[in-house]
Amino acid sequence: MTDKSQEKTEPETFFADWMKMATELWDPMAWMWSAFHKTTGMTPDSIKYGKRPRMQESWDTAQKTWQAFSQVMSEPETMETLLKGAGMLPEIFLKTAQTGSKTFVNFQKQWLKRTGKLQESAKTYNLEKDAFKAWTQLYEQEFRKFFKIPQLGLTRFYQEKMIRSMDKFNIYQAAVTEFSRLLLLPMEKSFQVLQEKLTELADKEDLPEDSKKYYQIWIKILEGHYMILFQSSEYTQALNKTLNAMSEFSAVKKEILQDFLNMLPVPTHKEMDDLYKEIYLLKKRIKELEKKK
Amino acid sequence: MTQPGIAIDLILSKLAEDAEKARTRAEKAPEVLLGPLETEIATTPCDIVYEEDRVKLKHYKPATKIQLNRPLLLVYALINRETMLDLQPGKSVVQNFLQEGIDLYMIDWGYPTRKDRYLTIDDHVNGYIDNAVDFILKKHNLDKINLMGICMGGTFCVIYSALHPEKVQNLVTTVTPTHFDTDQGLLHIWMRDMDVDQIVDTYGNIPGDILNLAFLLLNPARLMIDKYVGFLENMDNKKFVENFVRMEKWIFDSPDVPGETFRQFVRDCYQNNLLIQNKMEIGGHRVDLKKITMPLLNYYGKYDHLVPPEACEPLISKVGSKDTENVCLDTGHIGIYVSSKCQKEFVPRIAQWLKQRTADKNKLKIKKTSRKKSVTKKTAPQSKPALKTKKNK
Repeated sequence: MTDKSQEKTEPETFFADWMKMATELWDPMAWMWSAFHKTTGMTPDSIKYGKRPRMQESWDTAQKTWQAFSQVMSEPETMETLLKGAGMLPEIFLKTAQTGSKTFVNFQKQWLKRTGKLQESAKTYNLEKDAFKAWTQLYEQEFRKFFKIPQLGLTRFYQEKMIRSMDKFNIYQAAVTEFSRLLLLPMEKSFQVLQEKLTELADKEDLPEDSKKYYQIWIKILEGHYMILFQSSEYTQALNKTLNAMSEFSAVKKEILQDFLNMLPVPTHKEMDDLYKEIYLLKKRIKELEKKK
Repeated sequence: MTQPGIAIDLILSKLAEDAEKARTRAEKAPEVLLGPLETEIATTPCDIVYEEDRVKLKHYKPATKIQLNRPLLLVYALINRETMLDLQPGKSVVQNFLQEGIDLYMIDWGYPTRKDRYLTIDDHVNGYIDNAVDFILKKHNLDKINLMGICMGGTFCVIYSALHPEKVQNLVTTVTPTHFDTDQGLLHIWMRDMDVDQIVDTYGNIPGDILNLAFLLLNPARLMIDKYVGFLENMDNKKFVENFVRMEKWIFDSPDVPGETFRQFVRDCYQNNLLIQNKMEIGGHRVDLKKITMPLLNYYGKYDHLVPPEACEPLISKVGSKDTENVCLDTGHIGIYVSSKCQKEFVPRIAQWLKQRTADKNKLKIKKTSRKKSVTKKTAPQSKPALKTKKNK
């Protein structure tokens, strides 16, 4: 019991002593400060209107507040209440930490769920059959979301552009890969057809003796397959997708470059384009006027 | 025991023979490739008589006595360069015209830079072409000239002739697309769904390299493989190498295309097919093909994969002129101008057609040739034997 009461009163005594010491230190300082202002801080206006300087006024108010505060804090009841509050601190920290960790765990769960979804999607898209197309779909539906997380802070616009460029690059790469795959298909097919054709000729005992003939047969088959491909809607779609992806990536790349150029003493494309447009319109007007003469 | 059906021994011996030939070629090739080669293009002497921005007007020095009092102005496309018409001595459309006594002018569109991105079809047709025509008319004290267009340049000439019929005596269109709603040419299929706004907004001008890649993709088997296999097979032949390099120089000399012109051409022509429907507007004026009342000669290639016959043929049935003719040659897009076979008939026939209409136009028996009929039927009296032309389809 004795120990407990001692533990309880010790901080109170310590705090009261500290308050006393602080007041004893700051009191003479305050006195010196006001004395200094009485001699030097008086402006013509303050003399005229009998006002004290603003600095001294603020200092006096602060001093009075401190005195009132230290008086209240010296009361044992106040200290006891305060220390009770301090005892609650670890509990508050614990609760905060628990909330934080719960959020983190939830976030992790969501990530795991997303990863699970990726696996599911990968199965749905039948990767073996149409790998490049599947990857594009997978990227667009699952990965792309992460590039759209809102950016915060002073540099958010720049961050957004960087992230957008990464996203557009991925889309462009996917489109180019798919497009290249389509372009290689006639090659693949032409060799298959050539083999079939050669087997057919061999069966008829009509194989050409000239090796150049084999090349001519193959190039004709290849040309035919390309013509079939180029007229297909699949190819036109892939072509347009690639062109659009290339334009979009190129545009965002230029935006980033423009940001860097803005820091240098050189005109940007946008500024030059504005100027070119003005020159173009002016020239056109002059030419029209000249023709009317 | 049955005899094997495949003459493997023969195939192998032929293969060995080919390998030996290839080795000989490879040994001789450095002599050709490292030696002096004449690969200059566009060497026919000319003067630059008019310049405006990047555009130049070339006036060729006559090779013989001028036989036609009205000059002929050639308008090339904005894609690739007009040097194709003067690839090499002895195989030059320009030289052939000069030999026929034609006073020849040609527009050199130059190399558009970023500042040219806002130039529209109106600026090219009512600006540069009209100014060049005015210059020639003033210089020769004439009221009309003869006009000939190549590919997209032909489309520009059609638009120009509809907007300024008072300045055109005769119109010659060669491999000129005017009807774009067809599935016969790959360009027509590909352009239909192209997001032209996005491309133009991104690039400003359309890079020549991208256009070149698109043209190569029209027939990769021939243009990216077979062509170079042909080169390897003939790389010990100096003449072949020189001609090959000349063609390579021309093909890959691709100026960028001004963005706004490209946008309008794709949107109004390829995507909406406005020209042939008399709905296209240039500089605030509707292009009415019925206003093309001058004689019209329309050339195209049967095997043209860029501008198929279907894109060229309908023009003569849409214009106001009664003196029109479709001529389809057994060749492709470029073959009309560079193949030895076409060289013999292409220019002489145009020159003859022009001379007849300029010298004694009142005596012409004007007949409109049906676009579905054979074009061997002539619309004017012939002083030379009729040249062989093919059916439209």
